Amino acid sequence: MYAIEINDLTKIFNKRTRAVNGISFTVQEGEIFGLLGPNGAGKTTAIRMITSLTTPTSGSVHVFGSNVSNSSEQVRQMVGYIPQSISVDADLTAYENLLIYAKLFYVNKNERDTRIKFALEYMGLSDRTDDLAKRFSGGMMRRLEVAQALVNRPKMLILDEPSIGLDPSSKIQMWKYLKKLNEDFHTTILITTHDMSEADELCDKIAIMSAGKIAVIGSPVDLKESVGKETLTITLKLQKSSSEQVLPVLDDEFGLVSQEGNVIKISTRNGEQAIPKILQSFRDVGLDVDSVSLNKITLDDVFIKYAKMKFESENTESNRDTRMARRTIRRRAG
Amino acid sequence: MNIQRFTTSVFTIAEIEVRKIRHDSSELWMRVIQPALWLLVFGEVFNGIRGFTPAGIPYIDFITPGILAQSVQFIAIFYGITIVWEKDVGLLTKLLSTPSPRSSIIVGKALAAGFRGLFQAIMVFGLAILLGVHLRFDLLDIAGTFFVIVLFAMCFTSLSMVLASLLKTRERMMGIGQAITMPLFFASSAIYPIALMPKWLQIISLGNPLTYVVGALRAMLLTGDYSNLAVDLLALIISTVVLIVFASIRLRRLVD
Repeated sequence: MYAIEINDLTKIFNKRTRAVNGISFTVQEGEIFGLLGPNGAGKTTAIRMITSLTTPTSGSVHVFGSNVSNSSEQVRQMVGYIPQSISVDADLTAYENLLIYAKLFYVNKNERDTRIKFALEYMGLSDRTDDLAKRFSGGMMRRLEVAQALVNRPKMLILDEPSIGLDPSSKIQMWKYLKKLNEDFHTTILITTHDMSEADELCDKIAIMSAGKIAVIGSPVDLKESVGKETLTITLKLQKSSSEQVLPVLDDEFGLVSQEGNVIKISTRNGEQAIPKILQSFRDVGLDVDSVSLNKITLDDVFIKYAKMKFESENTESNRDTRMARRTIRRRAG
Repeated sequence: MNIQRFTTSVFTIAEIEVRKIRHDSSELWMRVIQPALWLLVFGEVFNGIRGFTPAGIPYIDFITPGILAQSVQFIAIFYGITIVWEKDVGLLTKLLSTPSPRSSIIVGKALAAGFRGLFQAIMVFGLAILLGVHLRFDLLDIAGTFFVIVLFAMCFTSLSMVLASLLKTRERMMGIGQAITMPLFFASSAIYPIALMPKWLQIISLGNPLTYVVGALRAMLLTGDYSNLAVDLLALIISTVVLIVFASIRLRRLVD
């Protein structure tokens, strides 16, 4: 059984805007899945359909086997949803925020208190239990939101842009908590983000959305490979003897790109792992390496490659809009 | 729908508001200022005019139930602003992502306004005692008054939430709230008897829920004449139920 199974899902707003345009994908149980894409790609609409907040125009969503369209209450019972904007009640204390959600998720009365205490402890907020949430920092509010979801022991957490507006250290802390949740409870996690480092750090699998469609789907490593290879630039120390430099024979996984004087470029799938091997083979043939630099492929490169479609199609779209507008104006004038 | 779960959700949603008031109750006290001024200024001035009210009831006595109803109406009619704000910050989306049924969220919110209304009623009773207004402080009548106040607050809160789902911004809600409160107030028997109105206004007042609320409150607190009470209550109950159903259907639209 999949945590999420989406089939040909489409959402059309106001009969013309196709926010989500026939997407299909699956999320495995226990996976951390990232839905990436530029602003307006349809990520939020997609996850709102998964959480039954928005009704699909066509297509189907199954969450742990339940159809979202006809058993939405069951689906909501299994899922913790954390929207993009901060959704804790600032005028209530941390404890009260959790208590309310424990009740709204129908957590057994005898268990409520234990679960609330555990959730606050787990998210590192137990020393602020009785403080009003409005006195919390942005990072703490986000953690409180996760704690709110935890009282229900959800099988899946869905977070819309979880690290938006957080400073780098809060962001990293948030990732740590999400990973820990995934490891400790095998909680499936679905996040949307346009922070590539977040996706790379957290996700087992990512899908890049663009103009309402899935442009590409795969693990971060595979996707990076699909974009191209990484390049190592090696500078050799100048040899004292004028004898010709004999380069070592490299393994098949490396490719010699170019050699200009004492600067050698080598392509590889994984630069970081390649560095020690290459250095060793140079040393073996008696060549001294002066410096090594690595040109890494990041998810940014992946994103730019696949989300580019979006810019192109957006241009044609806006052209059409202008044409239509012009036509309307002409008609009015006539 | 499971009844037990439904009631749990309703009371939890209402509990949110009660807990907020417990942390900061200044809003409730500020809301007492307006009815106090109506009774103290308007009531005292017009009290000098005789023959305005039926059967020799002093004017200030006559308007006390009306002022109570009006102050509750104020709380309820602007409730939609809170809902729009909750939508904007993500609180409403979060509530809707729980397994609690949508209608329980509406009823819970409406009940919270009813709680504010009850506080208002107690304050107006206090003012009335201070000003020497002769209210019938009979236990059943007081209970009946509380019941009507809660129902009325729920009725107008639901109306306000329906409006919020149509208008979707806080500014528009402010505008519509101000546009309808005064006409509703003046087209009811709150501060003058219906008999004094021109014919056309009398007809309009029949479609105004406030008329029935003031009628019921006046019967219980002032005259003890229950002949119209059943009609008043029925009209109020029907409009409350209809608006709650409508608001529950529209709630989804608000976040869509």
